[in-house]
Amino acid sequence: MLTIRGLHSHYGLSHIIQGIDLDARPGEVIGIFGRNGVGKTTLLKTIAGWVTASDGTVMLGEHGLCGLSPDRICHAGVGFVPEDRRIFPGLTVEENLSLGLLQVRGRPKQDECRAIDAIYNRFPRLGERRHQLGTTLSGGEQQMLAMARVMVGEPRLVLIDEPSEGLAPMIVAEVFAIVRELRNRGAIVLLVEQNVHQALSVADRFHVVERGKIVFSGEAGVEADRTRLMQLIAV
Amino acid sequence: MLDRLAISMRASHVLAILLLAAALCLAALGAALDDSFYLRLGTEALIFAGLALSVDLLLGYSGALSLGQALYFGIGAYVSALTLMTVPSFWLAMAAAGLATLVAATIGGLIANRVRGVYFALITFGMAQVVAKVVYNTRELGASDGMIGIPVVQIQFGPFAISAGNPVGFFLIVLAIIMGLYGLSAYLLETPFGRVLTALKANERRVPFLGYSVWRARMAVYVFAGLVAGLSGALYPVLRGFVSPELMFFATSGNAVISVILGGVGTLIGAIYGAVLLVILKSIIGSWTEHHLIVIGLLFMLCVMFLPKGLVGFSRPWIERRIVRVPSQEVTASAVSPAIAKSRSAS
Repeated sequence: MLTIRGLHSHYGLSHIIQGIDLDARPGEVIGIFGRNGVGKTTLLKTIAGWVTASDGTVMLGEHGLCGLSPDRICHAGVGFVPEDRRIFPGLTVEENLSLGLLQVRGRPKQDECRAIDAIYNRFPRLGERRHQLGTTLSGGEQQMLAMARVMVGEPRLVLIDEPSEGLAPMIVAEVFAIVRELRNRGAIVLLVEQNVHQALSVADRFHVVERGKIVFSGEAGVEADRTRLMQLIAV
Repeated sequence: MLDRLAISMRASHVLAILLLAAALCLAALGAALDDSFYLRLGTEALIFAGLALSVDLLLGYSGALSLGQALYFGIGAYVSALTLMTVPSFWLAMAAAGLATLVAATIGGLIANRVRGVYFALITFGMAQVVAKVVYNTRELGASDGMIGIPVVQIQFGPFAISAGNPVGFFLIVLAIIMGLYGLSAYLLETPFGRVLTALKANERRVPFLGYSVWRARMAVYVFAGLVAGLSGALYPVLRGFVSPELMFFATSGNAVISVILGGVGTLIGAIYGAVLLVILKSIIGSWTEHHLIVIGLLFMLCVMFLPKGLVGFSRPWIERRIVRVPSQEVTASAVSPAIAKSRSAS
């Protein structure tokens, strides 16, 4: 269970996140929508510890995440797929993937190998290119790699920022299939996405953010809520 | 299957074996001709190669340029000298120097790793200068004259002993220690920790989101590099019979950085080749002219302009191609870096 209460964060003097409350249950995909610059990405970065929260609490199960360093937040079960994917240059696909293994501490070597093999079974393209430099992959493959790297860590909460940005429609469908898979595994997914129609196809619920606050919350399956969402973000 | 980094490391090992073979030839020739000058020069080159190795661990693998690595080299040398003057035991001196540099590098790391980039370089430079000046003005440590009269010790190997004054014997011991430090560094870099360092160098901000503490990784490599420099420094007084504050001065750190750039940043064995080359060049050119630094400076500039990856960085892809072609190695074409794959397809 993810529980966020009264979350605030700043960039210097700019008050970006201005008191966000949010709840999510395991196996739920929550869409975070809003216009550019309203604080969607900052919300994810604040949860992940990239931006320090100035007030409020973030609880993942029994773990309080506020005030922890990003590596400790990661160990608490939070995986973050940033917008620009951040594939490490100079490392192969396999080396990039193996970096994700430390998200689970004390996992036996055999289980680590199994986790990597499972990724190759799920993403055969990554398996074929395992010895290729990560940065030589196409944009879509890099996105797969970024998501796979988080998946090997078996996170309980996955934060995904603009996963379809700059990708071909076929790849976008594959990316959202991965989001569904994460949900089916019981992870909580917070999904920031400009492609609202596609995001609604996987989201259970959504929140609309404006000027760092949630101004509307709705169910993805309720037509009235979807209509209101479209009005608010003027799509 | 070998991955790309493993192939590069294996190519470095081939170059290490070549260096080892050349060193053994030198030892054999030295023993046959009863030479001491070239063996002593080779020993000194290997000792400074250890210092260069420690610089490459930081610069080549974590992206941190240390301009004060001579600090740990000097601490190792002074602690070794003090120990040898008290208890003439080579192994005790090495252990004491190792312990002292571990402590010093931990303290230094806590200070230097608070900052990044050019500030890290300046802090490491500053720390070395401060300690060098303290040593320079401390009468108990011989002040500006340094410490002389370090005894020639017997180096025990169980029932056997080799005199540190034996040029061939001591050369072989130093060779074993420096190659051991190289092997240990290479092993460390092939573990997941090595991958973290590569990731750290590529994108430090992204690493914590995969569960790694950047600070801990930087501290670990800094302390290990300090230890490598300290153990190398500990050998210096055994060779020369004296230590002086100049060992901690910027010239020593600067020479180590030049060695790494000459040999190839991030190649590990390149640092050793670079240091050997630099010491030999200084000796040969120094015998012709007292302005040898002008010549070395020009050579350094030419190397940076025409061999930006250094000697090993230039030659290693050729060895990598040969490793990939060996049928017993289970390596696919995609395991090679794109540049190599391109050149293969061209040929």
